[in-house]
Amino acid sequence: MSSILVVEDEAHLAEGLRFNLEAEGYQVNVVDTGEAALELFEGKKPEYDVVVLDVMLPGKDGFTVISELRQAGQFVPTLMLTARGHPEDVLKGFSAGADDYLAKPFDLSILIARIRGLLRRREWLVGSVASPAAAPPPSDAFTFAGKTIDFQVLELRVRGEVFPLTLMEVNVLRYLIEHEGKPVSRKKMLDEVWGLHEDTDTRAIDNFIVRLRRYIENDPTHPRHLLTVRGVGYRFIAEPAPAKG
Amino acid sequence: MVLAGRRKTIAFFIGLGAGLILVTLLLYIGFVLLNWKHGILLFLFGIVLLAVIIAGVVLNTIFLVREIRRNEQHDAFINAMTHELKTPVASIRLYLETLQSRAVDEEKKKEFYRIMLDDSDRLLQTIEQVLRTGRMGGSHKLNITRIDLGQVIEEALVRARALYRLSNEALTYRANGPTTIMGDADEVRAAVSNLIDNAVKFSGNNVQVRVESEKIGEGFVAVRVRDEGPGIPKTELKQIFKRFHRVPGSLATRVKGTGLGLYIVRSVAKRHGGRAWAESEGPGRGSTFVLQLPIAK
Repeated sequence: MSSILVVEDEAHLAEGLRFNLEAEGYQVNVVDTGEAALELFEGKKPEYDVVVLDVMLPGKDGFTVISELRQAGQFVPTLMLTARGHPEDVLKGFSAGADDYLAKPFDLSILIARIRGLLRRREWLVGSVASPAAAPPPSDAFTFAGKTIDFQVLELRVRGEVFPLTLMEVNVLRYLIEHEGKPVSRKKMLDEVWGLHEDTDTRAIDNFIVRLRRYIENDPTHPRHLLTVRGVGYRFIAEPAPAKG
Repeated sequence: MVLAGRRKTIAFFIGLGAGLILVTLLLYIGFVLLNWKHGILLFLFGIVLLAVIIAGVVLNTIFLVREIRRNEQHDAFINAMTHELKTPVASIRLYLETLQSRAVDEEKKKEFYRIMLDDSDRLLQTIEQVLRTGRMGGSHKLNITRIDLGQVIEEALVRARALYRLSNEALTYRANGPTTIMGDADEVRAAVSNLIDNAVKFSGNNVQVRVESEKIGEGFVAVRVRDEGPGIPKTELKQIFKRFHRVPGSLATRVKGTGLGLYIVRSVAKRHGGRAWAESEGPGRGSTFVLQLPIAK
């Protein structure tokens, strides 16, 4: 039975979520503060398969909680659920490490479908790690300059080291790789990766790119793979020409 | 993070103002040193210009800092309103969808109906507060009549006990002296309810709210609402009555609201020729809110 942690301080919403998720056959635990959620993950193997995380929590807010979870190496699939549905907030959530984002008021069937999606991805991940030979999906990875991004198990492998990635980080990388060598505008990325069609401040995407550079660049201050194209956006180059001099 | 950014902006503008004043003073000293031989008139003319420039820079800095603070309050209000409007709607929708799509037993159904009613009350309260705040700023006239304040308080307590599921002992009232006042019944009811709601919300799990009324001097009746909640820092005692103001720190985020409740209380008091204020011996020692209204002759 999959286990879901709901972090929500509004008692009515929390109980409604518990009722519905239990009716779907999940085991549900509810906590009402970010601190309590972080405590559940402190130094432990994750006991939850998915986290549903509110943003406006007492004490540490949802953005801080997800960011601290990721920094602590906890990559449990997380759906942020919040009244703040403005595109800038959505991007902030993804940038902090969320895998999915749903604005309140939400459609119950959409929420359940999104949770199922996150669980499915987690099952693939667990399945392929437990028995790589029996993993059903074909290999879906991209290798460049000694680094391998595995799109299925959501990780980056660099010289024997493994860095877990969030779903959104993998989606952005996949998009840039698909357009390798060509400049991709911020607007287009927001539209096609995040699905944000509104007139969003496209600069919000830059924080996300800074994080990706930390993963894939040897020297993030002088990127060679993920380049800024001034006035446009970004360009991915898998095998850059050797530096002159 | 946004708050830290704004503080930096405020510090920048104050620094810029101080820097400009310093540069102007240095320029003036240079001017005096170069022109002192040309007589006292030029010197006085320079002084006047210097005073005008410095006053302009100071005014400009004050204006900028006030605008930044106002923006900060505006953002906080939008965030609070977004939360206060969308959360109950999200809850009602969730329970309606649940009732529509799942088999729910009778007992659960009753519980869900109660939750939806509570949420619709919360939504209505938020809407009423916003509309009332709008009316406070306009030319809406008071409908002054004789009101039994004791009865208004009793009714507000009955409503609060039902809304927050509290016992009679958790919310008590004692009248010391006459309670008939002159006022607008609707506004007085809103102010008293806001004070009681506030006291209950900030009490957490230990709700011990004592309401008292007493005659003050010859012309006023005061309502005192005392709670055993977290108390208020001295620096916040006046600030909390400002529109959109929320006490900084985790206390404010633990208790959700629009930041309009106490502003309404103070506005009602002022419109009736009375006063509203808060007393607290500091954090952790509870607080008392006082609403003073004119007694009926």
